[in-house]
Amino acid sequence: MRRSYLFIPGDVPRMLQNLDVFDADAVIIDFEDGVHPDQKEAARQLTRAFLKHHATRDVAVFVRVNAWEEAAWFQEDLACLSGSPLSGIVLPKAHPKHLTDVVFALEEAGLPMQIVALLETPEVFFHALELAKHPAVSGLLLGGEDLTQALGVPRTSAGDEILFARSTLVYAAKAFNKEAIDTPFTTVDDRDGLLADAHKANALGFTGKAAIHPNHIHDIHVAFAPSVEAIETAERILRRSETLKSMRFSLDGKMVDKPVVERARALLLRAAASRRR
Amino acid sequence: MPVFYKTLDACLDALPLQSGMACSFHHHLRNGDGVLNQVCAALEARGMRDLHLYPSSIFPVHAPLADMIRRGTVSHLTTSYINGPVAEALGEGALKGTLRMQTHGGRARAFKEGDNQVDIAFIAAPAVDRDGHASGTLGPTACGSLGYALSDVAHARIKVLVTDHLVDTLDTPQIDGAAIDAVVVCESLGDPRGILSGTTAPTRDPIGVKIARQAIEVMDAAGMIYEGFSYQSGAGGISLRATQLLEQSMVTRGVQASFFSGGITGMHARMLAAGRVQKLYDVQCFDLEAVKSLASHPDHHAISADAYANPANPERIIKNLGTVILGATEVDLAFNVNVTTDSYNTIIGGSGGHADTAEDAALTLIVTPLLKARIPIVREQVTTMTTAGAHIDVIVTERGIAVNPRRKDLMSKLQAAGCDLVDLPSLLARAHALSGPPKTWESKGRKIGIVEGRRGEIIDTLFGKVAIP
Amino acid sequence: MKKVTVGTLESSDCQITLSPATHRHVVIDSVVQAVFGEAIEAVIHRVLDQAGLDSVRVDVIDKGALDYAIEARLKTAIKYYEEAADEKELSIHTG
Repeated sequence: MRRSYLFIPGDVPRMLQNLDVFDADAVIIDFEDGVHPDQKEAARQLTRAFLKHHATRDVAVFVRVNAWEEAAWFQEDLACLSGSPLSGIVLPKAHPKHLTDVVFALEEAGLPMQIVALLETPEVFFHALELAKHPAVSGLLLGGEDLTQALGVPRTSAGDEILFARSTLVYAAKAFNKEAIDTPFTTVDDRDGLLADAHKANALGFTGKAAIHPNHIHDIHVAFAPSVEAIETAERILRRSETLKSMRFSLDGKMVDKPVVERARALLLRAAASRRR
Repeated sequence: MPVFYKTLDACLDALPLQSGMACSFHHHLRNGDGVLNQVCAALEARGMRDLHLYPSSIFPVHAPLADMIRRGTVSHLTTSYINGPVAEALGEGALKGTLRMQTHGGRARAFKEGDNQVDIAFIAAPAVDRDGHASGTLGPTACGSLGYALSDVAHARIKVLVTDHLVDTLDTPQIDGAAIDAVVVCESLGDPRGILSGTTAPTRDPIGVKIARQAIEVMDAAGMIYEGFSYQSGAGGISLRATQLLEQSMVTRGVQASFFSGGITGMHARMLAAGRVQKLYDVQCFDLEAVKSLASHPDHHAISADAYANPANPERIIKNLGTVILGATEVDLAFNVNVTTDSYNTIIGGSGGHADTAEDAALTLIVTPLLKARIPIVREQVTTMTTAGAHIDVIVTERGIAVNPRRKDLMSKLQAAGCDLVDLPSLLARAHALSGPPKTWESKGRKIGIVEGRRGEIIDTLFGKVAIP
Repeated sequence: MKKVTVGTLESSDCQITLSPATHRHVVIDSVVQAVFGEAIEAVIHRVLDQAGLDSVRVDVIDKGALDYAIEARLKTAIKYYEEAADEKELSIHTG
């Protein structure tokens, strides 16, 4: 599970060539909304050349291609990426009705069958389960800006207007053990706001959060790192489970069973991953 | 009791001027300094030649000095930092005599031990009272601490204050009028806008932010953030961001620092006011906030270069310095650092306190991006040696942290803390993987000067600008 | 045939202009000229060779772009340059 997905504009060399220094678990090179129509070709060429000539260190690389409906751009994006060492693509305006075609196009281009579906219309949240169920979909990503625009409501820091979308996305992703990735926090210099937003995402069950600025990665990882108390409890649960050779016992007056033991194990894996960074 | 003169010319009429004499200046007015230019122009007008100048630093504003060097008005130069047109003239080989680059602490030592023999010190003094006492904290060209001028006050044969702000009495003067021979009252010492140009904002550039964060993580992992620790850093964007992150870390763990030293910024002053640090030892103010703090806070102390960094002074402040964060224009595989020249031999700076603090601090960190505009900062060998690798502990870049193998203790602590450690040859390889192999030159050009270590030892030679094919 | 300019003057980027010429003419103005001028020129010629483009003037204003960025900027410029050429030919045919 990746805690952070960092958007990098595809047409800015200085960002592109440093995509692996910002400590994000994954980066999303953007060809879509972050790139002006005049610069689409530049983004494609820069990205292709960068990935051809430079190895990246410790980061999964995705590209947010243009939406399936933007047929010409979409096809050119995939043609240009063909053969590039990507982890997968981020599919904007994702909808289950396009998935078969998108997968076919990926296959044609020799790209990996790994799609992070970007949910950004009100309607698609009623198809979230279908998206999550698809074997090529590795995760669901919430696009809060486009969504609230479609809803005709302002984005707020509390985020009540996207609570339904957040929970729906988390439930659907978790139903199929896929990644649930929260929408980016869009104010660059508001550390307290970012931390609150990321803690909320973590508490709602997201596995990670997208970011629009490299300086956000560190705090996202802080928010998604298990707390010291949680790590201690998990360690005690695992120790007791091993001593008793059982997955059913009580600890501090609380009943522990198999899901609790497994969650403790997963939490320690996440904690270990956080420490490596 | 000094004699007061209404004009520089009246004062010069009274002074025993002669060609070949040595004159000193300080650089607290930084790129706003008008005193060096005024005095040198007046000396040239009086037919002086072959002068030996000892300015503590030279900035772009001192451009007229470049032509005075070409005309032979100035033949020798001893300083700690050069940036701008004067460096161009030196690179052409225009200086007829010697060029010596000293450290800030080395300059103070050389004055004290007689290596630097100065006939007349012309000391820009933002405020002077009736008894000839001087202070840097008030007046239209207030610059705060006068730390680098105090060696000149103590050791030059004749001491002349130059001021544009006369007051009745100064309560807490930095310079004692008893030591002063003459005071010149002039229209203006310079351009206040250029004086306090030292501080930039904490960097927001994500690469700079990452480097700053790693520097503080290294400090933390090395066990250097504790109750009563001490710290020094520059006024560059990465350093300021590091200081900001350090403050967060101090707040989290509830520790207070004993002192910050060196060049002081508004950020340091705010931390003093907030009780995060007990004392500031200020050899130079970088901005107006620092100047105000020096004027008002009892624990903000102006100190001399001697008290700050003279290696022969056993009481020097930086002898007890815990961590220093410094920059680099080049770092080589032996951890040697260059902040004196670029890779074509052009002088772009100088040690300042770099070599002083690097040697004395318990932990010396170099923070730098791995590439600057495609040019790798890590090289096989530095073009010019500013600070020997023996005094550098850790190089922090966005693509890895290199620990000097001499510091095995640090290596294991940083490893345990999960720092992204790398050896320098691998870091060099990472740089070249991005930049491609940089072209190098064999030809050195002609010798134009020397770099002195803190104790006056020659540690490198300065050469003329490389002729680029 | 018209002039085509791509790229920016931001750090780590370059601006490349293609214009018609009787023979291949490459002019490089780089902030890292002394160290990487030859490397930049080699990339330009390699990409022009691959594209089979000879009658063209290439003006590069470089702000420390790495080789991949120079290659990508030039390929983008060539694409637009050839599209512009096709349009012109089209106008000749239809005109």
